[in-house]
Amino acid sequence: MKKNIAVLMGGRSLEREVSIKSGQRVSNALKKLGHNIIKLDVDEFIVSNLTSRKIDLAYIALHGKDGEDGTIQEILELLNIPYTGPGVYSNILSFDKITSKQIFINHNIPTPPFYFLNESSFRELGTSKLLPVIIKKLELPLVVKPSAQGSALGVKIINKQEELPDAIISALGYSKKVIIEKFIFGVELAVSIIGKGSPQILPIVEIVPKKDFFDFESRYSIGETDYFIPARLSPTISEKIKKTAVRVHNALKCSKLSRVDIILDKKEKTPYVLELNTSPGMTDTSLLPMAAKEAGISFEELVDKIIKLSLDDT
Amino acid sequence: MSKKITFDYWKHLYAKRTGNMLSSEIRDLLSLSARPDIISFAGGLPEVKALNYQKLEKYVKRALKIGGDISLQYGSSDGYYPLKTRLTEVMKLENIDVNEEDMIITTGGQQALDLLAKIFINPGDYLIVESPSYTGALNSFKSYEPQIISIPVDSKGIIVSDLKLKLNELANKDKQVKFIYLVPNFSNPSGYTLSFNRRKEILNLAKKYNTLIIEDNPYGMLRYEGRPVPTIKELDIKSSNQNVIYISTLSKIFAPGFRIGWIVAPHPILEKLTLGVQSADLCTSSFSQRIAYEYFSDPVWRENIIEFIKIYSARRDVMIKALEKYFPREATWSKPEGGFFIWLRLPEFLNTKEILADTIRNKVAYVPGTGFYADGRGLNEARLAFCTENTERIEKGIKILSEIIKDKIKLYRSFK
Repeated sequence: MKKNIAVLMGGRSLEREVSIKSGQRVSNALKKLGHNIIKLDVDEFIVSNLTSRKIDLAYIALHGKDGEDGTIQEILELLNIPYTGPGVYSNILSFDKITSKQIFINHNIPTPPFYFLNESSFRELGTSKLLPVIIKKLELPLVVKPSAQGSALGVKIINKQEELPDAIISALGYSKKVIIEKFIFGVELAVSIIGKGSPQILPIVEIVPKKDFFDFESRYSIGETDYFIPARLSPTISEKIKKTAVRVHNALKCSKLSRVDIILDKKEKTPYVLELNTSPGMTDTSLLPMAAKEAGISFEELVDKIIKLSLDDT
Repeated sequence: MSKKITFDYWKHLYAKRTGNMLSSEIRDLLSLSARPDIISFAGGLPEVKALNYQKLEKYVKRALKIGGDISLQYGSSDGYYPLKTRLTEVMKLENIDVNEEDMIITTGGQQALDLLAKIFINPGDYLIVESPSYTGALNSFKSYEPQIISIPVDSKGIIVSDLKLKLNELANKDKQVKFIYLVPNFSNPSGYTLSFNRRKEILNLAKKYNTLIIEDNPYGMLRYEGRPVPTIKELDIKSSNQNVIYISTLSKIFAPGFRIGWIVAPHPILEKLTLGVQSADLCTSSFSQRIAYEYFSDPVWRENIIEFIKIYSARRDVMIKALEKYFPREATWSKPEGGFFIWLRLPEFLNTKEILADTIRNKVAYVPGTGFYADGRGLNEARLAFCTENTERIEKGIKILSEIIKDKIKLYRSFK
């Protein structure tokens, strides 16, 4: 049935451009599916834009701040507008990587060992003196990342102790807390999940960036990363990865949709969970549509599935 | 069976030079600066609002009335002759005495740069730029795969002693420098103006080493204080040389939307450039050129320049005052006598690319320095455009920026 669907895109996040690309693509698909589309940039007029017209569903094509931290979900809850993707609770838990990593630990889900530090602790508590301790405990190389930011913005891999301060300062430009994590040598994998209870697990995507890690350029420049699908893994390992991903999806109480990013350790074959995304990218090079295609689901069918799940939820 | 995903089936066909064309997080971050809530010191956007677009309607109407169907037709590849006449009058104000036959009109100054690169640069050729230099020029040149040699600038422009050494070194190796690219007046990005003596010296060097100077002068008429310095082209003409190719644009003294620039060059070079235009876009929009002709036929354009100068100079003053008031002692900046830009230098341990995300989150944008260097320097530098925002927002933005920078300095020191 024809619905009035508001596609929320752009916004104040640093991933605004990526979100606009996702939103445009989703809007085109929704149009082809026969729905009425209202494209909305999430700015100071968002509340009046949402209340001034009849909206059956909000499609959240936002990435990062506001879109994946529970803000827009809370607004939509208040306005009684059904929306795509997981709810407020899952977004809050998954957006802060420190919180989500603690939850993984509580659920015995492997995640790379890490420490986190607050920006103010460096200035007021002299925590920079702890850096040698962290290096001793985790061993180089390390990954330094902001606690809350997507698209690998502010993420750096460091191989020498002297590179640590610059990497920390850089990460703190993106959020007030920084994660210093053990670098896991292995294969990067992404598992997309649709639905709840016994959700549908899409084929695993294996990511092989030409650079040392899957950074912003590698993500959004066509040809800078090779993708293999399904990932080149044995059936047993594949199964293990999928099970881990579903445990993550459930641990963060995700309904409807998520993408779990994992590194499979080369030696021990342990799937270390890096994070969960509640609003996975929908651009030309994004992982969720890629996985869906492999499962025989076209982009339009994927968008249709996502909106139907959200409408059924209400 | 696992398969490799191919997004781009034509990858094996691309030219090598496309290898540099990547998505960049800086570009994505800077795209946020278009939002009205962001105070943008990033793009050098001219204050077209001062022209009052309604007042331009009459020129559009006149262009259509006088030109009729012809105004909608292809034009000549070297440009609309009557507009050339007007441009010679514009250049006379900067003491450049040339004829209509000495120039071609291009689709903005940017096409002028691309055409020059196209006719002069073979892969591996040497060319010299001031450092920092205009990004648009660097990118245009790079796509023809030259070896770019960067010569540093100080407050008097490109350092001539360094330039001399480099030219000598290359000559000893039998290497021909194709051209030296300069923005001598209120340079983009540094804001510095090349001194008179250096202009003379550089011209002599070009003569000695049998090379060309590309003098890019988009901002020359936007001087807010001090006395004008003769253009290198003027010196070139007066000494009967033919070493200077002069480029300018209507983007800053009229409006960038019309996309009109021009090149003054020795006639054989103009011939090659005209052939270049034919293979690039046949001609610059004849409709745009006719509107520009009408506008520059009305003496009001001179009054509008006075108005532009009033607006920009007030903005520059406020930005400099705010920098002096709020910025930490460790930072330095250029004090341009005109143009659009101030060049900011922070302590070496600060990386302006890394701070950008933080400033954008706090609703202020600028352009990090590295993009203006061909050799990856400029990490602790940034370009601040004072032309775009009104004085209140400039003061506010500089204050916010200063707080973030002070904070970063403190944070950095906590690691010592």
